[in-house]
Amino acid sequence: MIKTIASRVWAFFRSFQLTIVLLALLMCLVVLCTLAQVEMGTQGAVNAYMRSFVVWHQFSGLPFPLPMFPGGALVGLLLTLNLIAKTLDIKLSWGKAGMWLVHFGLVVLFAGEFVAGMMQVDTNMSIEVGQTVNFVQSYKNTELALIDVTDPTWDEVYSVPDTLLARGGSIAVPGTPITLKVKRYFPNAELSNRAEGTPPSMATAGIGPSVSVVEQPLVSADNEMNQASAFVEPVAAGHSYGVWLVSVGLGAPQSFIHEGHNYVLSMRLRRQYLPYAFTLKQFRHDVYPGTDIPKNFSSLVQITNPSRHESREALIYMNQPLRYEGKTFYQASFGKNDTLSVLSVVENPGWLLPYVSCVLVAIGLLAHFAIVLRRSLKRRQDKKEG
Amino acid sequence: MTFVQKYLAWGAGVLALLIALVFALPGGKVRGFDASGFGNLPILEGGRIKPLDSLARNSLLVIHGSQGFRHEGRSIGPDEWILDLLFRPQVADTQRIFIINDTEVQSLIDDKGKKLGRDNYSFADLGPRLEEIQKQASTAQPIAPQKRTRFQSAIVNLFDRVYLYYKLRNTLQLAGSPGLGWEIQSLGTADANLRHQDLIQLAQFRILPPLAGENPDAWQSVGQALSAASKGGPLHPALPPLARLNAAYVTDDAAGFNAALAEMDGVVSTLKPGALAKASRELVFNRAQPFYVGLSIYFMAFLALCISWLWKPDLLRPTAYALLCAGAIVHTLGLAARIILQGRPPVTNLYSSAVFVGWGAVILGLIVERMYRKGFGTAVAAAAGFASLIVAQNLGTEGDTMEMMRAVLDSNFWLATHVVTITIGYAGTFLAGAIAIAYALRKHLATQVDVETDRALADMAYGIICFSLFFSFVGTVLGGIWADQSWGRFWGWDPKENGALLIVLWNAIILHARMAGYVRERGIMMMAIFGNIITACSWFGVNMLGVGLHSYGFMDQAFYALTAFIASQLVLMGICYAPARFWVEKPHGKA
Repeated sequence: MIKTIASRVWAFFRSFQLTIVLLALLMCLVVLCTLAQVEMGTQGAVNAYMRSFVVWHQFSGLPFPLPMFPGGALVGLLLTLNLIAKTLDIKLSWGKAGMWLVHFGLVVLFAGEFVAGMMQVDTNMSIEVGQTVNFVQSYKNTELALIDVTDPTWDEVYSVPDTLLARGGSIAVPGTPITLKVKRYFPNAELSNRAEGTPPSMATAGIGPSVSVVEQPLVSADNEMNQASAFVEPVAAGHSYGVWLVSVGLGAPQSFIHEGHNYVLSMRLRRQYLPYAFTLKQFRHDVYPGTDIPKNFSSLVQITNPSRHESREALIYMNQPLRYEGKTFYQASFGKNDTLSVLSVVENPGWLLPYVSCVLVAIGLLAHFAIVLRRSLKRRQDKKEG
Repeated sequence: MTFVQKYLAWGAGVLALLIALVFALPGGKVRGFDASGFGNLPILEGGRIKPLDSLARNSLLVIHGSQGFRHEGRSIGPDEWILDLLFRPQVADTQRIFIINDTEVQSLIDDKGKKLGRDNYSFADLGPRLEEIQKQASTAQPIAPQKRTRFQSAIVNLFDRVYLYYKLRNTLQLAGSPGLGWEIQSLGTADANLRHQDLIQLAQFRILPPLAGENPDAWQSVGQALSAASKGGPLHPALPPLARLNAAYVTDDAAGFNAALAEMDGVVSTLKPGALAKASRELVFNRAQPFYVGLSIYFMAFLALCISWLWKPDLLRPTAYALLCAGAIVHTLGLAARIILQGRPPVTNLYSSAVFVGWGAVILGLIVERMYRKGFGTAVAAAAGFASLIVAQNLGTEGDTMEMMRAVLDSNFWLATHVVTITIGYAGTFLAGAIAIAYALRKHLATQVDVETDRALADMAYGIICFSLFFSFVGTVLGGIWADQSWGRFWGWDPKENGALLIVLWNAIILHARMAGYVRERGIMMMAIFGNIITACSWFGVNMLGVGLHSYGFMDQAFYALTAFIASQLVLMGICYAPARFWVEKPHGKA
């Protein structure tokens, strides 16, 4: 009985029907994901269709979303199992060596995409010419930073990620005597000057009382950004410093003093500090003569890494990224009249897998063709002789 | 095949090549003026050095939709047109070269109540309404191209064409002024500086080569040179001969014009050695129009083959094959010429991808024909070559097809590997689809059941699908690696990447379905036809979505063309799947 179930499962996973159905489902997903990008933006569509196990759809009038279609992750997982089963199923003979390599290469390729989907971190680094930057920042995620700026030569940064703010309650900031009470958190909000006669703001300190905050639905398109905002109350040693409005949309710094320490409160894009720093020495934006068609963008940076006693120059330009300490820095954008360079930074532990896969598949296909060619030549020879 | 038939067949091929050669020969003088020599002058436009002839052709294509037109009973070529436009705008302004299809735009231009349909207008006709055109266009321009109404698209299109015309008209001299000679004489007078500024602003191209000792890219427009001279600098040595060209053309002095042209050539070759030779190579390419000639030869080949099924197959089938070879030679030479002129791999934009897809399909078809010798390879290759070159001709009306590559694309290595392999994949998938169409049509048209031919066609399609799977897979993976190198991720589910992936998946499905025995001959053929739809969508469809890093702009008319293509392929799939009674053996002799 158990054996029959096992053999049935085995038969299911190694069947061609499964391959074809899964490939067809994947094609449908790819088409749907492509079309959805017009509305949802690339990242939104990829998350909804490709990096989920089930594609959900919210019908108006229903309180809960309904599962509509198997998601990319599910199809990918099944396809990988199918692929492994089929790879194992291919007869281990020299005649099938090519096909075996090709399918194994595909497993590696799928694994690479899986690793990328799970572990890839995309951030960026904006540097102005002459500026030195030792952090990368997220594109969308935010944090509430509590910065002790008492020492003019050194900023002590304590930060609370947006995910923690969203939970609300009291957050004791480690390393400081301060506890932040989250009064209210808005994943996305629109800020405007508070008009006369509107209900008073929750904020009692800083710029907050003169700003009105309206909650907005979350956006996901590539060129839109959520303006995360919150009302927080810093409390230290039983003393409240008032309720402050913090938001990504607020530019001016807000600060309070506790026991001689000057603390700045700032809601900003989430930062990751690096043990090294980049200084932008030169940014170039070359155009073709007599036009404004861009020919090349390049950033000349000085890398300073005290832990490695390293200080050297590196040129980052089109199709020529810098790989450094597990991160890859690409020339992505520019601004401020060509004095600001934006590098996109990617950290993907599986970045080598596609390369490995590519080599495996290429060798596999060549081997297969060679084998097939030899076989058909032999057949022709036999025919001639026969 | 008899000896005579063989020679007749190859004679047709050679004749086609000779006709192609005739196109490349220089034409005669226009009213005694060496217009073609004028078209050979090198200029800097769009970031590259090209002959004035290229600019004239591309501008006329953009403005008029073709490279020549008839005016007062005479056909006028691009070189003569540009001469008139640059030096005698009063003449060019009366030539009715602006074609307007949109009736709403027509009614905006004259309220006399024109008849429906397209109509031609001259710049002089549009003159009184220019302000209105500009006003309407400037309200439509901020709207995203996908969201414009038909009228808005049409008015923006008209405005762009008129503006290009207007800029050309004011590049070498301000239209309406007494000419360049007068401009040189009145350096330093009141208002001269304002005119120089206008000339600088409106210049569409730079005709004055960089002076010795200057940055080798520092070509100057007439306005820039005049402005430099008025600030006390020396007069650019090419300005006086240019002024003489202007004066001689206006006064109808052909001998003086040709002498001034020789002088201009002398100055250009001293200042920028090699530019003149580079320009004349491109001029020969322009004149030869290899892709236009190639598509005509493919058409003849296809026609010859179709007739061969009804009449004199022994003569006409080899003739068709010879013609296909001649077309392939012209096509290959054209492709090679583009590679040399541009210094780039063959595929750099949508236009050149169409040229290359056609070339790949033809070469594959020739190989298939050598292997099976049934005429199908020829038919399918000729049809595919013809169709893709027609597509290329339509894509090439948007301006210079040898434009410079934007920063991230400026990589010959990746253009040569990723782009070329993926385009070969497209070509293969289309060819397999074309063979499947031939198979489906033959099934219904042929009077006799011929199992062997059917099997041969199925073998061809299968082989080509394997070939396409290989190239589209390798091309897609190489694209991923390029993306990893330039954008930092191997795969981003970008529309263009998804399109490439769809082709890979579809070809993989066909092969697995065949291997598992789910489909046989007819099923594979239907799937191969569906492959055409997938390839067309990933090739052009994603450009219509207007999202992603790869999109090169929305194409309005192309959308309808694509829809029509998809519909036609669905019909063909239906024909392929037609009821079984059509497939049973027909009695011999009754058909």
